[in-house]
Amino acid sequence: MEQFLNPYQLFLIAILAITAPFLAFILSLIFKKIAAALGILSISISLISSVILFLHLWKKQTLHYSFQWIHIGNVKIDVGILLNDLSVIMLVLISLIALLVHIYSVEYMRKEILKYRYFAYLSLFCFAMMCVVMADNFFILYAFWELVGFSSYLLIGFWFTKEKAVQANKKAMIMNRIGDIGFLIGIMIMLSQFHTLDIDALFGSGSLIDSSFVQNGLWVTPFSTMPGYWLSIAGFCFFAGAIAKSAQFPLHTWLPDAMEGPTAVSSLIHAATMVAAGVFLLLRIAPLFNDVVLVSMASIGLFTAFMAASIALTQNDIKKVLAFSTISQLGFMVLAVGVQDNAAAVFHLITHAFFKCLLFLGAGIVIHQLHHIKEKSNVDFDEQNMDNMGGLRKLMPITGIVFFIAAMALSGLPFTSGYLSKDAILVSVFEWADLRGGIFWLFPFVVSITSWLTTFYIFRVVYKVFFGKLRLEKVIAKTKEQMHIHDPNYWMTVPVIILAVFCFGVFFAYNPLNLDSSWVYHGFNLQQHNEGIYHLMVPLYINVMSLALIFLAHLIYAKKKISINFEQTWYYKLSYNQWYFNAFYDVFLMKMVLFKAQTFYWFDRNIIDGAVNFSGIFILRISKTADWFDRNIIDGLVNGSAWLVSRLGLWLRGMLSGKLQHYFIWMLILFLSFMIFKIVI
Amino acid sequence: MGILTILIFLPLVFGVVILLMPKSLTAYFKYLTVAVSLAQLIIASWLFYQFKTGVNFAGVSNLSQYQWIEKLDWIRLDVGSFGTLQIDYLLGVDGFSIGLVWLSALVMLIAALSSWEIKTNLKGYFALFLLLDTAIIGVFCSLDLFLFYIFYELMLLPLYFLIGMWGGVRREYAAIKFFLYTLFGSIFMLLVIAGLYLSVTDPTTGNHTFNMVYAMNPANYSAGFILSAAANVQILGFSARSISFIVVFIAFAIKVPVFPFHTWLPDAHVEAPTPISIILAGILLKVGGYGIIRIAYGIFPEVAVSLSFWMGLLGVISIIYGAMNALAQRDLKRLIAYSSVSHMGFVLLGIASLTAEGLNGAMMQMISHGFLSVMLFFIVGVIYNRVHDRDIYNFRGLANQMPVFTGFVMIAFFASLGLPGFSAFIAEAFTLIGAFSSQAINGLLPRWMAMVAAFGILLGAGYLLWTLQRMFFGTLRLKKEEWQSQLKDLNFREILTLTPLAVLALVLGIMPSLVFNVMSSSVNQFLMLFK
Amino acid sequence: MIPLQHFLFISAALFSLGLFAIITRKNAIQILMGIELMINASILNIVAFGKYDKIDNTGQVFGLFIIVLAAAAVAVALVIIMNLYKRVKTIDPNQTNLLKG
Repeated sequence: MEQFLNPYQLFLIAILAITAPFLAFILSLIFKKIAAALGILSISISLISSVILFLHLWKKQTLHYSFQWIHIGNVKIDVGILLNDLSVIMLVLISLIALLVHIYSVEYMRKEILKYRYFAYLSLFCFAMMCVVMADNFFILYAFWELVGFSSYLLIGFWFTKEKAVQANKKAMIMNRIGDIGFLIGIMIMLSQFHTLDIDALFGSGSLIDSSFVQNGLWVTPFSTMPGYWLSIAGFCFFAGAIAKSAQFPLHTWLPDAMEGPTAVSSLIHAATMVAAGVFLLLRIAPLFNDVVLVSMASIGLFTAFMAASIALTQNDIKKVLAFSTISQLGFMVLAVGVQDNAAAVFHLITHAFFKCLLFLGAGIVIHQLHHIKEKSNVDFDEQNMDNMGGLRKLMPITGIVFFIAAMALSGLPFTSGYLSKDAILVSVFEWADLRGGIFWLFPFVVSITSWLTTFYIFRVVYKVFFGKLRLEKVIAKTKEQMHIHDPNYWMTVPVIILAVFCFGVFFAYNPLNLDSSWVYHGFNLQQHNEGIYHLMVPLYINVMSLALIFLAHLIYAKKKISINFEQTWYYKLSYNQWYFNAFYDVFLMKMVLFKAQTFYWFDRNIIDGAVNFSGIFILRISKTADWFDRNIIDGLVNGSAWLVSRLGLWLRGMLSGKLQHYFIWMLILFLSFMIFKIVI
Repeated sequence: MGILTILIFLPLVFGVVILLMPKSLTAYFKYLTVAVSLAQLIIASWLFYQFKTGVNFAGVSNLSQYQWIEKLDWIRLDVGSFGTLQIDYLLGVDGFSIGLVWLSALVMLIAALSSWEIKTNLKGYFALFLLLDTAIIGVFCSLDLFLFYIFYELMLLPLYFLIGMWGGVRREYAAIKFFLYTLFGSIFMLLVIAGLYLSVTDPTTGNHTFNMVYAMNPANYSAGFILSAAANVQILGFSARSISFIVVFIAFAIKVPVFPFHTWLPDAHVEAPTPISIILAGILLKVGGYGIIRIAYGIFPEVAVSLSFWMGLLGVISIIYGAMNALAQRDLKRLIAYSSVSHMGFVLLGIASLTAEGLNGAMMQMISHGFLSVMLFFIVGVIYNRVHDRDIYNFRGLANQMPVFTGFVMIAFFASLGLPGFSAFIAEAFTLIGAFSSQAINGLLPRWMAMVAAFGILLGAGYLLWTLQRMFFGTLRLKKEEWQSQLKDLNFREILTLTPLAVLALVLGIMPSLVFNVMSSSVNQFLMLFK
Repeated sequence: MIPLQHFLFISAALFSLGLFAIITRKNAIQILMGIELMINASILNIVAFGKYDKIDNTGQVFGLFIIVLAAAAVAVALVIIMNLYKRVKTIDPNQTNLLKG
């Protein structure tokens, strides 16, 4: 394509893309009536700008503009935008999905009184998220990273009178903060080592990270030197930030709780975009990671993928299943970064965004319908519980079909986008294990199992919700004709259909069965892919097994031909209780921190302040003693001598009888005694 | 008469005017006070705007580079063979003080606006209030140690009465504790000031002098006198300069407050009326930080370097310890008081790092904490004024009841917990960056300190978000039925007070250069003292 | 020539008589007479010692002085006694306690 616009104009377009949602955020809070329209308008502008940027920059050039912001000492922090291939594709992805979710939300939130806030927050999120992908240095990236978390906090707690929702948003914010501390420490390490936070300077071509090396246990850069383990620490710190944002073990428990927010929000933020920011961060700074960090990353990704998939198997809340599915899929992406197949990670990030968003929106439609029934029937039931659903395929066919397509994509069946991206990851894991051998063969083994678990749990959802009989009839004692369950209007169906279209592989590859024909994958995979046995074998054996599992799920959940009773087994309980992480965190860790806090406070009141008060009391006591001493001893001496003198005086006075002759006798006695005294001495 | 003199003594003059006004005009006292504070803020803003930056206006140890200098011979006493006792009326501002002067003027205006809640003995209250105003601005402007000390002690007196007479239930305990604690620190400082006087001579007149700018220059010390570095006088086996540094540090550490000298703070804050809490948190604590920078570090740089590890450690302990204590509180005001301890720990950590980033961060933190703590205490005041209760567990679901108020609470809370876009984030991030790079730049602080301090931010998120969830979210539930009618949303005056603070926190978070530009040359000059 | 001891013996006897009179008598006049006896005893002593003085007649001169003084003192004493009598109608020292402290 020809270059119609020069870089400066592109820069202005990029600014437009982020300013539009920001203005929408401000204006929505002022003009409450037209908030939804403002949100859709702004994100449409962003989408158009993003597409223009994408067409101009993809595989062509990198746009980097920065302006002086803070200069202190050695630290120069600028504010600017950096648009490379990764950024532009993320921009298009974010704005496209955000636009669809905005449209969907118009209907979904129609009855909310405070919906202007909802759209304002959503615009704030879009602004922050697009800034995250555009940020040209860590400081700005961190700032918007937190702002994304903040807007997520606002949206999870949108129904702020719901106790569970506000518990959830607090939990999300604090868990994200734990990771952010890591991120911040990582920033400090980078700044201390390289004296710059500019991502392009650090990781771009001819980057600073390449000119640094570890030698003799020291990490040497052109500016500074640190002990070598700081390189690993830096890696782990950034990784910690990604762990929290992308809900990886051990900081994953906030994401299932975050499902308390509106479903549209769950779909945009907690499935498609924000949670992917962690993976995005890992991709941006991938050259930093050394082998230790990469292996830990792969291990954590693998473990999270497996754990979350195993939990998703038994959850009855439809959104919970999808939440754990998201965690699991994010685990796949982290695993891909860990095995250094960044292209597969990006690819999966993008395809996952579409089909997971669709799954959530589909679930949202079902929940929305059931919620209406709940309001009309005045019977209290859980509209998110799959035990109340079933057979909806016939009542809401569009929803059923798009959900089915998304489930196929998630399972990675052929002709879907998931087939390409997930198999790319699987192949990489096999090759990686092959290269390393030994214990590393555990990785492809577990990842295959996880992949099959994925297929099974998502089709469990499909069959439980859309096939079989409508179990809700029993719950509220009404026939389905009375309930008026139907597909929603265009506000909701159009976005899900668009998303469903994007679940097909043809959009991402010329030949939807061949990964190597994928333009997204090739956009990031610079080295030539070696054609190995795994490219053929892995997709084959995974998909054959998957089809078998789908059939099994069909038999169990749709036809009820097979009934298995394992609800009393320990592994069922482990899975159903989400591996007891919440119990551990909430009961144990929270209690411990609060107990510590109480202890500190006790210490402060009694020891520190006690010392102050004690010194106060002690001084008072001393002064009391001094007072006693003064009154009794010192003043006592004074008074005592006076008393003595007066006594003596009185006694002597007694001698003065007034009789003249007595005086003479006294004189005589004194004189004589004086003489006797003189003589004796 | 210079502009600084006007700035300092304007409130005092009007304090006297208030004392002379007849009883019938009592209702106008608060308007007069607000007008005076506003005038002061306008002057201070003009100064801030006119303040010249750059290497030639760095100030610190170079008297001629200070701006708006006013020098009058104040006391000249011939003491025979010892020369002349020279005490100057010496005022001036540099990059360190101009920001704090402006902050003080702002906080005093906010405090004046929140003085509406005071109902008794208004004449006394506003007269003392304006006296306090004079003392505070005086502290930041004076460059003569004797003058500084006078203003410094002058702050205590009105505060003692303001807490002790218009405070809460245990006001007398809190007031006397505050007064004695601070006095305890400052009397020993007086000894050091006397020692400095004996050791420092004015290069222009040859007299001994209290001039603190001259005291920063080792060339002005007469050899052989007690605090001259060359003399190396020992007291009880310790160097006299080390002891002096520690004494001065403790005096200011009590003000900051630094663990373990902080316990006056929760009591004083909890018992003080809202405007006085605002002044305490907004300015008084900054006097401590300012004193540590200007006097403790500026005059005894070599001791400061040798003790930096311990200073940093105290900072880190304050951060974590204050945050942990805040987590344990039920009383909202006490919670915020402890959070102040935590936030001011960053100031000490930044100073101890002795890096440009750390010092800038510390100054930024002082200014940022200045208006954020003001905002937080004002928020507590809003609730307390309405229902006379502050227990977190007695409130729930206030968001529906008071939406505008909750909006401001969220801004204040998220700004304090360091959300990017607000000033506290810039301040804390730079402090931590400074503390972290200290190891590589000057080797004073180990890297783990910055990492541990970063967890203070996490704890900060913990207690603030928890409070937000407990008090403001959920369904409305109050301790008493009648509270529902009493808890009205903010009135115009309250919105007027909170809005500029929120805007400032945001503006400084987005454009921190507004403050950094003013300070940076002074900070660089200051760091030269440690080379 | 009469030896000095004789004078001293007489003087001592006179003094003792005077002293006895002072202590025992119930009449102020008699006490005054006792005092005179004691003064005379002392004059006798002075005159007797004067014999051995290096300067001539000093003893006698002193004696004369004392006599004159004694006469004056007697006059004063008599006036006191008179006044006392006027006030309390008695001159028995045991009947008065005006000097009591």
